[in-house]
Amino acid sequence: MKRLVYPFAALAVIAFSAFTVIKSQDWKISEEYSIKFTSQDPSGVFRGLKGNVSFDDKNLAASKFDVTVDVATINTGNGMKNTHAKSAKWFDADKYPLITFTSSEITSTATGYQAKGTLEIHGVKKDVVIPFTFQNNTFISSFDINRMDYNINTAEPDHGASVLKVEITVPVTKA
Amino acid sequence: MYRKVFFLSLCAGIFSAVACIVYQRVYFFALEAEYSKLVNIGSLMGMCVLGCMVAGIGFFLLRKYLPKNGEAIFNLGFVLLSFGTIIFPFAISLPLDIKAPELFPGLTVPMHFFPAMGWFALRNLFIKEKGNI
Repeated sequence: MKRLVYPFAALAVIAFSAFTVIKSQDWKISEEYSIKFTSQDPSGVFRGLKGNVSFDDKNLAASKFDVTVDVATINTGNGMKNTHAKSAKWFDADKYPLITFTSSEITSTATGYQAKGTLEIHGVKKDVVIPFTFQNNTFISSFDINRMDYNINTAEPDHGASVLKVEITVPVTKA
Repeated sequence: MYRKVFFLSLCAGIFSAVACIVYQRVYFFALEAEYSKLVNIGSLMGMCVLGCMVAGIGFFLLRKYLPKNGEAIFNLGFVLLSFGTIIFPFAISLPLDIKAPELFPGLTVPMHFFPAMGWFALRNLFIKEKGNI
């Protein structure tokens, strides 16, 4: 009987330790989110944000973003510009229907947080660092994107702006 | 003469505005494209009446100073101006909270011809002249 004490003790420790793994909080993306891009020309919004948002400011190591944006939802306010933006010359929405971001590491900064990860646009993957804040159950982020980095109409660098400011506001609710 | 032109302009403006409002409702029910923030009864009435009143001034002046060909020039000019202005619905950028801007020209381009159509439809009711044919 004494011989079984240690195996049982080991099992008990394993069983109890399993409950000590803290899972990060999952969040559901609210419909009131906005993804705006602005430049001298063009400016617009994207809809179609989906994915998994797992974030806990007390457990950043377990936090993770894995989100997509439907390219076909682009709206510049002008029908012709929308059609051009979705065409093969620009985003090529038929071939590359999604913009994806998958974080690999989330860390805190002096002003909030930053998510390191891979941003894929137009079939081109780039490692990026996206700064953001999280207050009142709302993620807010602002950063610049150079379309040349993602091979978007590189033949015409002066056709509209190359660098666009992206402003993202994503209210969330606990999943 | 100007009294007749004034009432022709006013009636053509109201007539074309009613046509625009009917078309807007049909367009909304057919395609569920909602642009009432920009294109509504007030803006349609205002633009149609304004367009026809300005046309009325042009009509009056052309008839006065070019009695022989003034009306022909006016008719041609009214149609060409109506046609020329269709560039604006294609070029305009709508507020970003309005969905499906692709359908906006389909709503507004036909409306650009309604004032001219209203004018030509009512012209002979207000200004009766013996033709030369």
